[in-house]
Amino acid sequence: MDSELIQQIRYQARDLLESGTVKGVIGYERASDGLTARPFFAYEPAAVERLIFDETCSHNLARYLVDKKNEKMAVVVKPCDSRAINLLLNEEQIKRDMVFVIGVTCPGVVETSWNHKDEELQARCKTCQLVEPPVYDFLANGEAVERPQGEPYLDVQQMETKPITERKAFWSEQFDRCIRCYACRQVCPGCYCPECFVEQLNPLWVGIRIAPKENELWQIMRAFHLAGRCIGCDECERVCPVDIPLSLLNRKLEKEVKELFDFQAGLNPEEQPPLATFKKEEKLGFEE
Amino acid sequence: MNLFISRDELIRWLDQLLRERILAAPVQVQGLTLFQPISKVEEVTLDFGNTTLSPKEWFLPPTETLFSMQGNDGHPQLVPSTIEKDAVIFGLRPCDAKGIALMDGPFLREPGDALYQERRARTSLIGLSCRQVQPECFCTSVGSAPNDSSHVDILLTEIENGYIVQVITEKGKALLPEGLTESKEELPAPPELQAVPTKEVTQAVREFFDNPYWEQLADRCLHCNICAYVCPTCYCFDVRDYPNKGNPERVRSWDSCQSTGFTRIAGGYDPRAAKGARLRQRFSHKLLYFPEEFQDIACVGCGRCVKSCPVNIDIREVMSDLQQLEAKSGS
Repeated sequence: MDSELIQQIRYQARDLLESGTVKGVIGYERASDGLTARPFFAYEPAAVERLIFDETCSHNLARYLVDKKNEKMAVVVKPCDSRAINLLLNEEQIKRDMVFVIGVTCPGVVETSWNHKDEELQARCKTCQLVEPPVYDFLANGEAVERPQGEPYLDVQQMETKPITERKAFWSEQFDRCIRCYACRQVCPGCYCPECFVEQLNPLWVGIRIAPKENELWQIMRAFHLAGRCIGCDECERVCPVDIPLSLLNRKLEKEVKELFDFQAGLNPEEQPPLATFKKEEKLGFEE
Repeated sequence: MNLFISRDELIRWLDQLLRERILAAPVQVQGLTLFQPISKVEEVTLDFGNTTLSPKEWFLPPTETLFSMQGNDGHPQLVPSTIEKDAVIFGLRPCDAKGIALMDGPFLREPGDALYQERRARTSLIGLSCRQVQPECFCTSVGSAPNDSSHVDILLTEIENGYIVQVITEKGKALLPEGLTESKEELPAPPELQAVPTKEVTQAVREFFDNPYWEQLADRCLHCNICAYVCPTCYCFDVRDYPNKGNPERVRSWDSCQSTGFTRIAGGYDPRAAKGARLRQRFSHKLLYFPEEFQDIACVGCGRCVKSCPVNIDIREVMSDLQQLEAKSGS
């Protein structure tokens, strides 16, 4: 028996497809392991029967909206994922009238890999404050679930107390493993540049070597490009094949931006991201 | 005749090997299992299904310098890179050994790739047969087996009190320690695997080149390079020259047909700009172009791409879908 939440998602998806309101619905279906979820694009009303939602639906499907920006699509989003829609609207990558947002109230998701799911909620879910998506057109309402409200920056704060040499050594060790597969970039809803700086070959910005120096440059540039823009879905960390703790880096920058500008990305589509705007009265730090 | 080696003897043997040459073996690194050169036998782990990355990196490293240019007196000399030491890869699975054998096709065919050739000649492979298989494994469907000894120099099979040693090549024989006795035990039967049909797949890829299937499958593909980089048979690379402070060098690094611009040509045109075209290239290379050139399909059934793909593009499912299209069109 499928949950009430799934029934609501399917009902809405069917309606949108049958009425021709959208060309397709981006949701989740069961993966080939029969246990976890994977993204699914439904273009026919009959296909909505394949849509599911459960604690294995970790993927942030808002990422696909940029690929489909010229077609009206519906997308199933958890509260965290929906922040990416606000980010993309804010940065004018998608148009609001080209997206129908099927929001879900989220009980939290677990770590998954193919043929495996954890029992425990993902770390980010344990500190998530959002019960409803900040943006939606239809809300699929699941059972209300109480979540423990933890401190989101505990590990960042611990890291901050360590001497710089130790922090440098830690990150060097992490980045040395990087194989520059760019899965972190490809999965990120905020990484939509038509040509990424690492792929600009003429002139060559970053060498092609898969080696410590280049890996580090890639990873630092990636993180900085997301400062004040990362919406905290942690998809980059989930997909990393060599388990680099990218969320730790992203949340350090998120924390800085929060402290400096009292801003978190994707909560409000109207509010300009601080690092993309300039106010005359702002101090530059080197005048006078 | 098969030999027997006890666990203690194995440790002594590995200790002896690592003194004389580079010994790469599976090592646990922050929850991953990777082939790394080891300096102490204790670093080796034998408790793994398969390694996170394949041992192909010992023959085609993620990055290597092919040659450098020396001398700035107006007469520069090209100095090709060379291999310093002989190496042994210990503990690789039969599927991964087959992956190396498949890479031999493009890299050893005349004119061979000099660096690859040298590494291949100076590296011995000590395989470890699989007594257990993983849910993502399907080696028996693509011409290998959990106990396949065809592509290693020595194959070890774990039994209760040690390992049965099969010496396959002369190169393997030269590595053996002295004093090993004949194994009293027979080789155990290999574990069984579920069959994935592949019979019609090459034909199907050829026939359904223009099928909308590829664009549909590409909808969810992220076009990252994970599948190519974890794959023991993907061997595409990019080449670039670096100034390197007056001694320019030519470097090659892994590359993948999934990345944007992989096929971009002079003038900026990209014949495989569409997502579906890029994804089709991955499977066409493995299932059609490679077998046309080198007979076998370029998949060893290790299941790494199945396990690592963030959006579950499952090669077994792709092969099955294509063959179903074939069956439908035939009926």
